[in-house]
Amino acid sequence: MMQHNAMAFNSGSDLLPDWMSAEHSTGTTIMAVEFSEGVVIAADSRTTTGSYIANRVTDKLTRVTDNIYCCRSGSAADTQAITDIVSYHMNFHKMELDEDPEVRHAAKIFQDLCYNYREQLSAGIICAGWDKKAGGQVYSIPIGGMLMRQPVCIGGSGSTYLYGHIDATFKENMTKDECMQYCANAIALAIFRDGSSGGICRLACITKDGIERKTILHQDLPKFFEG
Amino acid sequence: MSIMEYNGAAIVAMIGKDCVAIAADKRLGVQSQTVSFNFKKIFQMNDKLFVGLPGLATDVQTVANKLKFNLNMYQLRENRQMKPRTFMHMVSNTLYTRRFGPYFVEPIVAGLDPLTNEPYIATMDLIGCPMETKDFVVGGTCTEQLYGMCESLWNPDMEPDDLFETISQSLLNAVDRDALSGWGAVVHIIEKDKVTTRDLKARMD
Repeated sequence: MMQHNAMAFNSGSDLLPDWMSAEHSTGTTIMAVEFSEGVVIAADSRTTTGSYIANRVTDKLTRVTDNIYCCRSGSAADTQAITDIVSYHMNFHKMELDEDPEVRHAAKIFQDLCYNYREQLSAGIICAGWDKKAGGQVYSIPIGGMLMRQPVCIGGSGSTYLYGHIDATFKENMTKDECMQYCANAIALAIFRDGSSGGICRLACITKDGIERKTILHQDLPKFFEG
Repeated sequence: MSIMEYNGAAIVAMIGKDCVAIAADKRLGVQSQTVSFNFKKIFQMNDKLFVGLPGLATDVQTVANKLKFNLNMYQLRENRQMKPRTFMHMVSNTLYTRRFGPYFVEPIVAGLDPLTNEPYIATMDLIGCPMETKDFVVGGTCTEQLYGMCESLWNPDMEPDDLFETISQSLLNAVDRDALSGWGAVVHIIEKDKVTTRDLKARMD
């Protein structure tokens, strides 16, 4: 019924609220940090259609393989489709190699799709995980399809509020708990200022033992100056 | 993004038993960036009359000042408090004088008659078309969410404490589904002998 109404009116028509025609976007704040034993990935949980919050408990930390996850930002439909395709490829790859695939292989397939279909897609992805050849790795694949490995990576509309914070406070070789706290702080700061980010903070730690997830509810997020 | 959604707002007013309540969020944003958590959108005009102004922030402040000025002049000349319904007509006229270059606000009027203490609420569009109701009025960027909340929670003849709970829950849950409003909330309960103002603890996201 919503489809029919959306087609009957022009999008942007005054008779139709904008959320009936706007695309689902994960407004978002995402980040990932490498540490000695693996990676920590983090995201907020808000999906918006226009200014309406369509989902306030979204899971933006999506499984590619058991040891490789990705953080999704941009169009929800695009990033879900891309992640499905990469996951499909990695399944075959694992059977061919008879061992867990490397993070950089998944990242390369992400890049392949995001670059070759760059005109049609709106997707900013952080691919992160652990493999036994190179340990914890974080790869950034922003809009346009660049691929770059970084010790810390931020993405999404909320990340603009974090560049200064990361530059000023990040240090390499943190412990697992320090990384988790660091990510929680950063996501909290972005949620506070960015209208397109909010809800709860989802964290995950990927090491040789697999994934360990944590959720921080809104009231338990770190609090900063509220002037 | 439309000009009415540039700064973000959520305002609601409700009628209770011999009282009215008006509530608003406190966010000031520039599209998705939040700039302030302390932005005033409800203005007291006289002892028992309030006006809430959702819309473009610069016009919120300009229109509030204009209205206060005109109300003061009226009250000085007439030597009596202005009735809410008269004030509504004054706001409507102020907006219509700018019919072809409007102020981007959609005001909500809430108050008690200065003599009879009868509760009154009204809203209007940005060029002054008024709408008076007997239950509740809503305005801002999450009106659909507010209508849903108010329609479910409102009952006639609520006592001030009940009305406070109802209007607070209506506002808080509506703004939690809107990316452009929230970040704090303020509620004014207007009764015949006092006005109670409370700040709500809200989600800051």
